[in-house]
Order: sequence, then structure tokens, then C-alpha cells
Amino acid sequence: MILKIRNLHKIFGPGSHALKGVNLEVNEGEFLVIIGLSGSGKSTLLRCINRLTEPTSGTIEFLGKDITHIKGEELRKVKSQIGMVFQQFNLIKRRSALTNVLTGSLGRVSSFNSIFEKFPPEILKQANDALETVGMAEKAETRADKLSGGQQQRAAIARSLMQNPKLLLADEPVASLDPATSNSVMQYFEKINKEMGTTVICSLHFLSLVRRYASRVIALKDGEIVYEGSPGSIDDEKFKTIYGQDAGEVEIR
Amino acid sequence: MKEKIKNNPSPAHENIALLEKNFRYIKSSLLDIFFVFYSLIVLQRTIYYRFIMDVREIPFSWGEVIIIFVISILLGTAWTISRTSLSSMLLGIAKENRTAKYTAEIFGFFLFNITFIAGWIITKISIVDFFSAEGIEGAKRIFVSMFTPEFGIFDDALFAIIETVYIALMATLISIPPALVLSFLTARNLMNENKISFTVYYVLRIILNFIRSVEPLIWAIIFSVWVGIGPFAGMIALLVHTIASNAKLYSEAIEGIEEGPLEAISATGANRIQVIWYAVVPQITLPFLSFTIYRWDINVRMATIIGLVGGGGIGTMLMQYQGLARWREVGLIVLLIAFIVWIMDYISAKIREKIY
Repeated sequence: MILKIRNLHKIFGPGSHALKGVNLEVNEGEFLVIIGLSGSGKSTLLRCINRLTEPTSGTIEFLGKDITHIKGEELRKVKSQIGMVFQQFNLIKRRSALTNVLTGSLGRVSSFNSIFEKFPPEILKQANDALETVGMAEKAETRADKLSGGQQQRAAIARSLMQNPKLLLADEPVASLDPATSNSVMQYFEKINKEMGTTVICSLHFLSLVRRYASRVIALKDGEIVYEGSPGSIDDEKFKTIYGQDAGEVEIR
Repeated sequence: MKEKIKNNPSPAHENIALLEKNFRYIKSSLLDIFFVFYSLIVLQRTIYYRFIMDVREIPFSWGEVIIIFVISILLGTAWTISRTSLSSMLLGIAKENRTAKYTAEIFGFFLFNITFIAGWIITKISIVDFFSAEGIEGAKRIFVSMFTPEFGIFDDALFAIIETVYIALMATLISIPPALVLSFLTARNLMNENKISFTVYYVLRIILNFIRSVEPLIWAIIFSVWVGIGPFAGMIALLVHTIASNAKLYSEAIEGIEEGPLEAISATGANRIQVIWYAVVPQITLPFLSFTIYRWDINVRMATIIGLVGGGGIGTMLMQYQGLARWREVGLIVLLIAFIVWIMDYISAKIREKIY
């Protein structure tokens, strides 16, 4: 078991109870997809796992170790083992794709060397390989803000690969992309999951993508898990309990 | 969650609401007392003494002021309690009827008018003085000599203005390292990590605000005593002000950066220095450069003014010739200043355009 979450609560302020006692276990090699409406707590849950958001109460175990309250060097060590991909890509706009990918290795490089951008040859090689993996080898020297949305997201995936992640978190990675690009980006997650054995936890909006890529699905509603199971068994009724009575499904291929 | 609060409000909530309402009454009556006091004082001192009694030197006595103050306390409080005053309107506790509405409107209009009249009297605006034949004659003399500048002092003036440009340049260049360091320490989004850093942020902000609120002209007076009259004093005066202003501009640029890359880099397990170097610095380099060039441009203009109080350069020279009433020389200097300022303005605008 790679991740074990017990009774996780997150309260942002009065009247804003984002997670209400989430229990979740994730096995190695899974492709877990989180679905739910905007504001249901998907992002908060993902961000609690790598501690971009501080949980209010509950415990998070990563590789059998309680990481809920660790700090400083120890926390950085854990963060460096968990990759994260964001909806807005979050690349450094004025730097090349390669430099952006190299930032994924900062946890292993000393402050001094990283300020002078002196990366050891094996890390440079790994960065080029990572770009190769996401099919971006020829774009290595292109500035991030000159890349298309799909290319930016692939560079961001390559950046997370630099961490040799045990676990890859993806917070609505395709929500800012068009349907065709969404599918191609999702294929890279699938590839990483299948070929490298990396566990992926990903939040998604489109059920067609969920059915195609997920090995298991959980659904959040108002900060609580309301569904857990295989992607195939989400029928109309379950869909309505997750998304509300007025919701209708949209297909994307 | 929200509905629950609405349905059964806790006693604490009621108390707070009540307290807030009382507090608004207090604020409103204080404001009304001020309004009444202000109007009575203005009416008494300008309208009564100046127009009705027509005295030139208006007498001042604390006795009168105190009497007026007491009257205003009574009137102001009564007016607030009646809930038809201007401030009860402003604070939203006025009665919802036409009397309240009209009182507020009429009194507001009245306040604006007496303020304008008082301003007219205090600034001693005089149409007669403006169009007096003697005055126009004098102004014409200066204008004519200024438009026939004396080119005999051109060399001296040129050197003086070069001095001014260099004063501004040195102040700008030397300000960069301290302003950079201070800007990181006064950027809220980098300093809200823990209590110690937030205290540093807060204290530094206050100090910088103070330094910035003192005009470079005043700093020049201080430093011309400290290091003696001359370009050095002017340079330090500008330097002090530039550090404080640029630290503010820089830190605002830092506060305005996108948070996303910051999160992404820290999520890779990078340390604080690496996060700043990779996620903050690339986003702020260009704004910093642009601010710095613009500041040089501003400093050239300020260095001219600072020269007037002994900060060296063209300003000091202007002051000397003006003291001697040598208007043709003054004319040349003014021309040169206008020319240099225009060039600096143009260059800095062009460079900033290119950067973005």
C-alpha cells in the first residue's frame, strides 16, 4: 500500500469545511481517478497528500510512514518523491522547456549548483529522456510560453518524471485543454502508469476519460466520498447522486 | 452550514451585531460633531469676519473655538440622535424618509460650498493682482529675457547638467542592491511563512513608508548639513528616497507574481532558495529592470530640484543666477533642463517599451 488516508478533515474557515473525514487507501500501481463537482474537495484532497495544503486533522501515511505533520528537510524529501501536475501547467514561462523539466530535479541538486544552473550530466540526460518520453524532444529549447497548452502540460509531466515519483498526483490535468489534446495527454499518464509502474491519482471531469483510463474511481461530494468502485459500474443513478439531478453526461473522445 | 447560522443565530452573533450598531452611532455622532464644528468655524472665521466685518487680520482666541466646539457637540449629537444627519446617511443608520434625504443633500452641498469659499480666502486668490499692469510688466520682462537666453554660460551649464544626470545615475545604480534585498523582505507572499518573518516584514514596511514620505528635498537639506553642500549630498538624498521607493515597487511586483509556478517548484521538494530562484526571479526580472530605468528618469528631474537646496548640479546653478536676477542666464538653464528631461523621458520610455 502506497498511500493510506484516515479520517482526513480540512477546514479553511467558518462555513468552509472542504474535507469531512475522508478515508482512502491506494495500492501501488493503481490509476485512481477522483470525480466530483467543482468545489467538492478534489483539489484539496490532492493538495493535502503532498502537503501544499495543511490538513486540519486526520492522518496521511505515505509508504507506511506518517507524513501528516512532518516539516523541513523531511517534508522536502517526501515531496520530492511525489510528482504533481496542475490544471494550469504552472511552468516558468520565460524559461525553456528543458530548464522547466530540470526544475523537477531540484530536490537532488544543491542550492549553490542550482543557482548557477549547473546540473550534473546524468540529470541532464534524464531530463532529455523525460522530454523524449512525452514526445517533446525537439521542443527542448523552446520557451515555455511559446508552447501550446498540450505541449506545456506534457512538459509539466516530464518535470514530474524527473522526481522518479513513486506517486503522481494530477489535479484536473486536462481541464484547460481541448478534447483531442486531453486524450493525448491522458495517454502519457497511462504510459507512465503502465510502463513505469507509477501510481497515479488524478482528478477528472469527463466520465468518458474516467472509463477509459481509471483502474478505480472515487467520487467526492461536499467533502465526503460518496462512491468508490470500478469505473464501469457508474450507472445513471449513481451519476445523479454524484453530480446532482440536473446533470447530464457529456461525451468526449 | 450557512443556513444553520441564519436559522438559529447564537447569542454571540447577536451581541456582536448590537455592538456594531452602537459603534456606528458613536462614529456617526463624532462625524456629525466634526461637520458642525467645521462649518461653524468656517462660517465664523471667513464669512463673518472677512465679509461681514471686513477685517483683514482675523483675530484668534481659544475661547471662541471652545464655545463653538461645545455648541457643535450639542448640535452634532442631537442631529445624530434624530437620525436625519449627513453622517447617519453615510453610515446607513438614517431614517428612511424625505427629511433625512433632503437634509443630507442640502448639508452636503452646503459643506462643499463653504469649503470652496474658505479655500478661496485662504489661498488669497486675487483677480486684481493677477491682472495688475505692474505685475504683467515684470512677468513680461522675465519672459522676454528667458526667451533670449545667454549662451555665454553654455559650457558651465552643460557641465552642471551632466553632473545632475550623473547624480541621478549613481543614486539609481547604488540603490539597486539594497532595494533588491529589502524588496524580498517586504513582500507579503514571501514573508508570511512564520511570525518572525512577518514581524520583519511589518517593521521594514513601516520604516520604508516613513523614509518614502519624507521628500528627497528634505533629505537633501539633511545631507547637505551632514556631508556638506554639493553633488554628494544630492546623490545620497536621492539614494535614500530611491531605495525606499524602489523596494516598494519591487516588492509589489513580487506580490503580483503567479502563485502557480511557486507551488509547482515547491512541490518538487525544492528548498526556499531554489523556489525563489526558479519561480520568483524569472517573473520579476523585467518589471525590476523597467522600474529601475524609470526611476533614473525620475531621479534626473528630482536631482534638478534638489540642486535648489544645495544638492549640486544644474539646480544649484539655477538658484545662483535666479538670486542675481540674471534672467537670460536662467532662461538658458531652464531650456537645457527641459531638453535633458525630454531626452531622458524619451529614452527611458523607448527602453521600457523594448523590454516588454
